[in-house]
Amino acid sequence: MITIKFIQPDGSEKLVSAMNGRSLMEAAQGAGVVGIVAECGGSAACATCHVVLPQEVFDRLGAPEEHEEDMLDFADAPRQTCSRLSCQVRVTPDMDGIIVRVPTA
Amino acid sequence: MESTIPRNEIPAIIDVSFEDLMRDPYPIYKRAQALGPVVRIEAANLLLVTRFEDIVAIERDPATFSSDNPESNVVKLFGPNLMRKDGEAHQRERKAIEPTVRPGTATRCWGPALEGIVDEVISAFERDGEADLFDALAAPISGRALAAIVGFEDVSWQTIAAWSQGMMDGAGNYSGDPKLTARALEVSREIEEAVDRNCPRLLDAPDESLLSSMLQSGLSTKEIYGNTKVAVGGGYNEPRDAILSLIYGLLLNPDQKEKVLANPALWQPAFEEAVRWISPIGMYPRLLTRDVDLGGHILPKGTQIGLSVAAANHEEPRFEAPQEYNAFRSKTPHLAFGSGPHFCAGTWVARIMVTKVVAPQVFARLANLRLKNPDLVTVRGWVFRGPTSLPVVWDV
Ligand code: HEM
Ligand code: FES
Repeated sequence: MITIKFIQPDGSEKLVSAMNGRSLMEAAQGAGVVGIVAECGGSAACATCHVVLPQEVFDRLGAPEEHEEDMLDFADAPRQTCSRLSCQVRVTPDMDGIIVRVPTA
Repeated sequence: MESTIPRNEIPAIIDVSFEDLMRDPYPIYKRAQALGPVVRIEAANLLLVTRFEDIVAIERDPATFSSDNPESNVVKLFGPNLMRKDGEAHQRERKAIEPTVRPGTATRCWGPALEGIVDEVISAFERDGEADLFDALAAPISGRALAAIVGFEDVSWQTIAAWSQGMMDGAGNYSGDPKLTARALEVSREIEEAVDRNCPRLLDAPDESLLSSMLQSGLSTKEIYGNTKVAVGGGYNEPRDAILSLIYGLLLNPDQKEKVLANPALWQPAFEEAVRWISPIGMYPRLLTRDVDLGGHILPKGTQIGLSVAAANHEEPRFEAPQEYNAFRSKTPHLAFGSGPHFCAGTWVARIMVTKVVAPQVFARLANLRLKNPDLVTVRGWVFRGPTSLPVVWDV
């Protein structure tokens, strides 16, 4: 199991076990992380699954696709350097122990 | 619908007529929500899911609750399309239209295109001092915007409106009226002809339009036909009705209107509340791919259910006094754009067009806009619902 710590918009923490190969959004939503609404169920169409990754994880993943880039500009919480749509991020074993922030609108 | 509905086990509402549903479905939805997770509405011959969390859960399980229904009128009359596909087949076509409908494109491309359209439309009646905003404003704006987005250079808004009506009549033609079927097939052919006329230009000079995006991503002609029909059927009525509901909601509540006019950032919540309050698409179908236990009722594979997002958007206590328009309620997600993989592809186009262009312009140009007489406003429909007449007056 891969464990990821989410910091919710109010600052509280939630430890989430994530499955290899599923999306970060699915892991967060399954655990009821506050702020991951994920209205479009992972279609990269709603921008309600916005997270901020640690810099080194963000760098490792490579650039988001053009559509996600566009969508991130319209998320409720202002976009940050390491912002991603969590539905577009696959969980991998090297993510065990990372801290992911759900930004505040 | 299938004879497989287990009629005796599921609570039913049998004492309302189809006309009751058309006039005001909300009291019926409230009853349905109290009766159980799935309720048979006899007048519509449909099993309806009305509770918010149930709909969200269903939309998270598209393998069980399929959008694909080869027997539906829509697929039979208009051919396969992305709204009636699942899984990878759906994703592939959805990706093809993304470049046209993403928020950046809407901001850069469709918003500015709409500025000119809105200016022309309002200029045509601005000096009259009174109008019905359905015919004078919302229908032409929505139709012309959609023609531009699709890439139909030579199609008038009246044609878009007529096509949309023909498609809706055909889709809802459960009694098999041959006249409606014939008209729907004619509309289907006319749309295909318009696609054929406009595609050569877009192959030579690609742009941001829906047709162009589909051509660029290599969709087949059949796929392009099907998805263009979805855009006509789903991209004209809904923005039209949302524009009218937003204006209506604010005119009913002058205090809210003043606050929104003083702060353009508030157009966004005002718009979301309008589509929550009167959801333009009130219900859409799903087909069970296996036997499913819905709150203790076993529904057999092959059963069609309707997801009533209109009901969910009026669920208490999630939304307090849900029948009232209140742009200042606490921010709570609604289901007017659906949810899950088929979440409305045009969401951002609609949001940006209405909140950045149409609504601000209407209130800026029509001074002291007000309802002519609240009793003259009519709102109708349940599968599709919106104001059908919105007579207003303003100072000239
Ligand atoms: C306020 C305006 C609108 C509302 C309330 C609305 C509502 C919806 C809803 C509820 C669905 C889901 C249907 C289902 O799951 O079966 C949907 C799907 C869709 N809508 Fe919209 N819509 C609006 C505007 C638009 C516009 C302007 C366009 C086109 C430019 C559009 C294009 C689509 C498409 C292509 C789909 C199918 C998406 C898919 O199956 O993946 N919509 N819409
Ligand atoms: S879940 Fe909608 S964009 Fe990620």
